[in-house]
Amino acid sequence: MPCTVIGLYGTVMDQGGKRRWDRWRPTLSIFQHPDRIVDHLELLVEPRWLRRSQELVNDIRSVSPETQVTVIPTPMENPWDFAQVYGALLDYARTRPQEDDEELLVHITTGTHVAQICLFLLVESNFLRGRLLQTGPPRRGSDGPLWDEIDLDLSRYDALARRFAEEHAAANQVLKQGIQTRSPDFNRMIEELEQVSALSTEPILLTGPSGAGKSALAKQITALKRRRGQLAGPLVQVNCATLLGDKAMAALFGHSKGAFTGATERQGLLRAADKGVLFLDEIGELGLDEQAMLLRAIEAKRFLPLGADVEVESDFQLIAGTNVDLRQAVSSGRFRGDLLARIDMWHFELPGLAERRQDIEPNLNFELQKFAQELGRQVAFNKNAKARFLRFALDPASPWTGNFRDLNAAVLRMATLAPGGRIGEDQVNAEIGRLQRRWGGSIPADPVAQVLGETPIDRFDRAQLNEVITACREHPTAAAAGRALFAHSRTQRATQNDGDRLRKYLAKWGLDFAGLNQASKSR
Amino acid sequence: MNSLVQIDGTQGEGGGQILRSALSLAAITGRPLQVDRVRGGRRKSGLMRQHLTCLRAVARLCDGKVQGDELRSPQFSFQPGTIRGGDYHFDVGSAGAVALVLQTVLPVLLHADAPSTVRITGGTHVSFSPSVTSLRDSFVPVLQRMGAKVDLKLERYGFNPAGGGSILATIAPGALEPLELVERGPLTSAQVGVVQCSVPKNVARREADVLCHALNLNPERARIETVESQGPGNALWVTLLHGEHTTVFDAVGMKGRRAEQVAKTLVRRMQRWQHSGTPVDEYLADQLLLPMALASGGAFRTPPLSQHSRTNMDVIGRFLDVGFEVLEESERAARVDVRAA
Repeated sequence: MPCTVIGLYGTVMDQGGKRRWDRWRPTLSIFQHPDRIVDHLELLVEPRWLRRSQELVNDIRSVSPETQVTVIPTPMENPWDFAQVYGALLDYARTRPQEDDEELLVHITTGTHVAQICLFLLVESNFLRGRLLQTGPPRRGSDGPLWDEIDLDLSRYDALARRFAEEHAAANQVLKQGIQTRSPDFNRMIEELEQVSALSTEPILLTGPSGAGKSALAKQITALKRRRGQLAGPLVQVNCATLLGDKAMAALFGHSKGAFTGATERQGLLRAADKGVLFLDEIGELGLDEQAMLLRAIEAKRFLPLGADVEVESDFQLIAGTNVDLRQAVSSGRFRGDLLARIDMWHFELPGLAERRQDIEPNLNFELQKFAQELGRQVAFNKNAKARFLRFALDPASPWTGNFRDLNAAVLRMATLAPGGRIGEDQVNAEIGRLQRRWGGSIPADPVAQVLGETPIDRFDRAQLNEVITACREHPTAAAAGRALFAHSRTQRATQNDGDRLRKYLAKWGLDFAGLNQASKSR
Repeated sequence: MNSLVQIDGTQGEGGGQILRSALSLAAITGRPLQVDRVRGGRRKSGLMRQHLTCLRAVARLCDGKVQGDELRSPQFSFQPGTIRGGDYHFDVGSAGAVALVLQTVLPVLLHADAPSTVRITGGTHVSFSPSVTSLRDSFVPVLQRMGAKVDLKLERYGFNPAGGGSILATIAPGALEPLELVERGPLTSAQVGVVQCSVPKNVARREADVLCHALNLNPERARIETVESQGPGNALWVTLLHGEHTTVFDAVGMKGRRAEQVAKTLVRRMQRWQHSGTPVDEYLADQLLLPMALASGGAFRTPPLSQHSRTNMDVIGRFLDVGFEVLEESERAARVDVRAA
């Protein structure tokens, strides 16, 4: 396969002159290897140096008669101007016909770093489909100049790739507090968040139901940024719902001495968060005046404290949390559209615990460990007790309306009440009762359990049966319930005997419509 | 007779000379050649650029077919065709030695169907190779005495690393006759020559002084010449005429080596030969093995044979029905008789 080298004429190192053969010349050195033949050189020369470069071309002909040299005038008047150099090289790369059967080497060597970086980028982005050829002067003790071919396929650099992966994994673990979460959606969100937190200082918006873990995540983002040396300041967090009336302004933006009767100087939360992270939870609760000030503070990184004449500066990363739909708040006039636009640059939606039940078990273990660490005593579940609790927790009928707040409270209660550090079935049953009461009447106790008792049943069947039981209770007759249950498939049938279909299904579980319907009425 | 000759590249001294001798002989005898483990003993094994140049040059002279003629190839095969006289030009890259290419193609063109001219460009005075001066003044005259119609001109000097030198050889086909070079005649002339291009002025003078001193010559008689070349360089030699036979000892100046050192190394080699009392120096001995084998006879006396020469004899013996009889006369001298087997 013919070998082509693309390289720049270096105005310093490639230059000729009387003593040129005493020096190492990068481009010439390519042709001085007894075990390498380059068939073709495309030499990119700034038009000013066309005449001067002729000497190099002649010298190459002398040491490498096998090589055909093509001089390509390439305007790069200012070798330090990135846009100009990259533009010129890109133009060349784009118009250059690429042969399939050529070995292409792109020469990088001493010279301006601008040219090196541009050539690297062109190879890395595949505009030049080749490998990088790095040359250097002969090292002490070696028998010739350096020739090093670099393949940019990073997967070849296993050790490097592994380090990248480990770094990302470690960062993910920081965000997850070390919890081995299993929900693919949640894990994907964490991966994105990890990248954003590494690369961006723009505001981050965390949405999700109350108790989904927004403040815990804000804390972990701060920890990760600090670990990477991207933060010098503290994490300042405040729930905006607690900032009421006149005090809100002063609390957030501070006030000068004598701003109002008896006022001493106050720094305010924004200034306290300088070079750190400001986490504003329930940002939707912020008043409109405060919203306007906050917007200015984010955009200009400066704002006017209450009663002050001069603006103060504060550079912080904003993380905002909310469990309300801010878009709706904008349309009803309760939230500024321009502020929303500014803070939802990076928007991450935390799912509620009910949407990530796979993560209940790892979080359960994590909370138990945390409890043990904080209270200094070990607590563990009995095997059966744990199975009972997980069955309840994973049951679609358990709504987990308070999300992680509920789960953490449940663990704390069970652990505190566990005799001798063992959580038994009694504690679990009592806790299930507490949770069910907390979730209130809107949540019927597990209907399947009501009619089948402790009969073992697959999750698949449980979900189906759950729907069927609900329909039976909602409709006066089996036919009506059947119509609702088979609303779609019945249209494709020759005869519509919905009541019969339902009765046959119920019979499989030893149930009948009247019993189910009756039970609901008596309740 | 046209059976394949297989050669192991690691045998004997294991260098490029095996390849060059084998290529010439394959073309001359018409026998196909296969070489395995090319330059197997070397750190950078396989075919290097300069070997490829020789391989392709010989293939061109005889319309031969080559497989494996790639850089760093550990193995190649060569199927020779008919040797054609004509005007040839070979370019040797990276200041490679034109002398090595000439040594390879010259015997081949003696067997062509018509006269030839061969121009070779590259390095004419470089390390690890005979200089064109020694080929022209010592080797070619011996060939002429063996009946060859050969002439060699140095057109332009070429040094390492720039190369760019040029030689022109004219070769008319014809058989070689046996020659005996066993007695050294009386010294009739001694000359010192130094050439330089773009090196500090006093280098050539200092080298000439050392050489003249060793030969008891008046330093004024040294011929110092400033020459045109692609790049800087410096070469020096001593030419000794004993009766009809000329012997050349030469060296090239190198950056980082003192002029006196370079000249003194040359002098020591010359004196070793002078003490041997033989007519043929060890480099010429190596060069004469192939022509004498082609002439099916001849004899010469020389200092003890190098490993290089012994390997060369082995390779020649694989192609031609000749025997080399080596008689170690003393620690300083050996006699080689070449006879048809």
